[in-house]
Amino acid sequence: MVKYLAKLGKLSFTDEELVKAVKDMTSIIEIMDTIKEIDITYDPLKDNHNVYLKDLRKDEAMGSLPTDKLLMNATNSENCFVVPKVVE
Amino acid sequence: MDVTSLSVKELRAGLDKKEFSSPEITAAYLDRIKKIDGSLESYITVTEEEALTAANEAQKKIDSGDVSPLSGIPLAIKDNICTDGVKTTCASKMLENFIPPYNATAMEKLNAQGIVMLGKTSMDEFAMGGSTQTSAFKKTKNPYDLTRVPGGSSGGSAAAVGARLCAAALGSDTGGSIRQPASFCGVTGLKPTYGRVSRYGLVAFASSLDQIGPIANTAEDCGIILNAVCGYDYHDGTSENRPEEDFTAKVGMSMKGVKIAIPAEFYAEGIDEDVRKAVLAAADSYKAMGAELVDVSMPSLKYAVAAYYLIASAEASSNLSRYDGIKYGHRSDITGDYNELITASRSEGFGDEVKRRILLGNYALCSGYYDAYYGKAMALKQKIREEYNEIFGKCDIILTPTAPGVAYGVNENIHDPKKMYQADICTVTVNIASLPAISTTCGYDGKGMPIGMSLIGKMWDEATIIGAASAFEQGFERVPANI
Repeated sequence: MVKYLAKLGKLSFTDEELVKAVKDMTSIIEIMDTIKEIDITYDPLKDNHNVYLKDLRKDEAMGSLPTDKLLMNATNSENCFVVPKVVE
Repeated sequence: MDVTSLSVKELRAGLDKKEFSSPEITAAYLDRIKKIDGSLESYITVTEEEALTAANEAQKKIDSGDVSPLSGIPLAIKDNICTDGVKTTCASKMLENFIPPYNATAMEKLNAQGIVMLGKTSMDEFAMGGSTQTSAFKKTKNPYDLTRVPGGSSGGSAAAVGARLCAAALGSDTGGSIRQPASFCGVTGLKPTYGRVSRYGLVAFASSLDQIGPIANTAEDCGIILNAVCGYDYHDGTSENRPEEDFTAKVGMSMKGVKIAIPAEFYAEGIDEDVRKAVLAAADSYKAMGAELVDVSMPSLKYAVAAYYLIASAEASSNLSRYDGIKYGHRSDITGDYNELITASRSEGFGDEVKRRILLGNYALCSGYYDAYYGKAMALKQKIREEYNEIFGKCDIILTPTAPGVAYGVNENIHDPKKMYQADICTVTVNIASLPAISTTCGYDGKGMPIGMSLIGKMWDEATIIGAASAFEQGFERVPANI
């Protein structure tokens, strides 16, 4: 299971790290399992507290950061991000 | 006069009366940082040169009469708040060399007032933790005892305030990350209502829970800083456009007739005796000031840690998927295909605790487990909100301990994630319910370690909890850290 969760999260573990991760996750899931005791259901209609639709910004074109600033933290070349070759 | 022992309000008065200048107080803090921070390790980056330049600029404005409440005041900023041109690492190898090309909105607002940024403070990696011991760079210590943790995740900010290495600081709070370190370091920390402060430029952990807030020496200082950083921001659709208000307006308020809820579950088994006694003694102080104490109940508290960790980790696993080693952040040297590069970059860049949260988040959202975990956690979020609404139907504020105990040793607990998670029991429901809460010191244990109490307010009612915390602070003698 932990291997599958790691794959979903694009993480790799050595065998030694995996043993520790399994131990930690088993212990953490014991806490998470406490919520199985309570019988309640989520009502999505009630859950709109954090959405203030009246304040959504207008759908209009705005300026963005210049390319050199957007690339300054990346391996880049000729104004592009450099990625491994994905098409032969 | 030692200017580093003054509050933001006192520094403002002194600057305005020309008793000292911004460059002078900036130099005093920088001097203390040089002397003390080698052992305290509260700052990841000290921006000495920029601070002195900013102080000179601020002083020119002060001299010309162009003064804002924070003009020339030296502040520290948690290292997950983006600062244009200054490294913002989130205490992670993943962002070790990340230099933001823009300022967070909260930072823009502070700069507009002419603050002096002294540097960026340490934290738990990506704000995940309660000890600042998951920092990849500076494992901050407690200013009251260097063998103990400062709390977390904003442990660097709280320790820097407690050790007088800044006048105040910004932190962020997802499940207690401002209040718990403020409690451990003997200072005051305010988690505002969700939506009060823009999250634009705050490196995302759990977007429905994260909130920026101040850590300072007094509740009034927290109000002064909140006045500066609050407000709607079109970059953050969850920030709300509220009428302008002064969060210090209720400082000096009478506690007569104020109804203070005491929820029994927050004082039950698992809370250290010293903590329980100190917080209940604070409740008695409020009663002596004329407040009415009301016994209430929050039955869902026993499920709150699980609900919090499921929601927060689910959101974290999604938010952290942006770290691919390509656009920014650590990029592995391995040569391989696209997926191999991403997997290697993430595995090398993230620390153990961050990886655990990603695994837990994926578990909560996994097909076949979603309803049992994430769905149930969201149902509990609704139930916790309902229980808070019920309490606030008959009370004005709620008084609880901020943490079950005082600061613990740097090598205790940190290898036991289960124990670490359970220690968040007193703080997480506030984030789940989007409420404001403030932690201030209410006592000391037998070894002189600070004990914090939290005042939880109704949504958007920061002014009342700041006023009530201030009322307590004015009658309480704090023992500053001897560092």
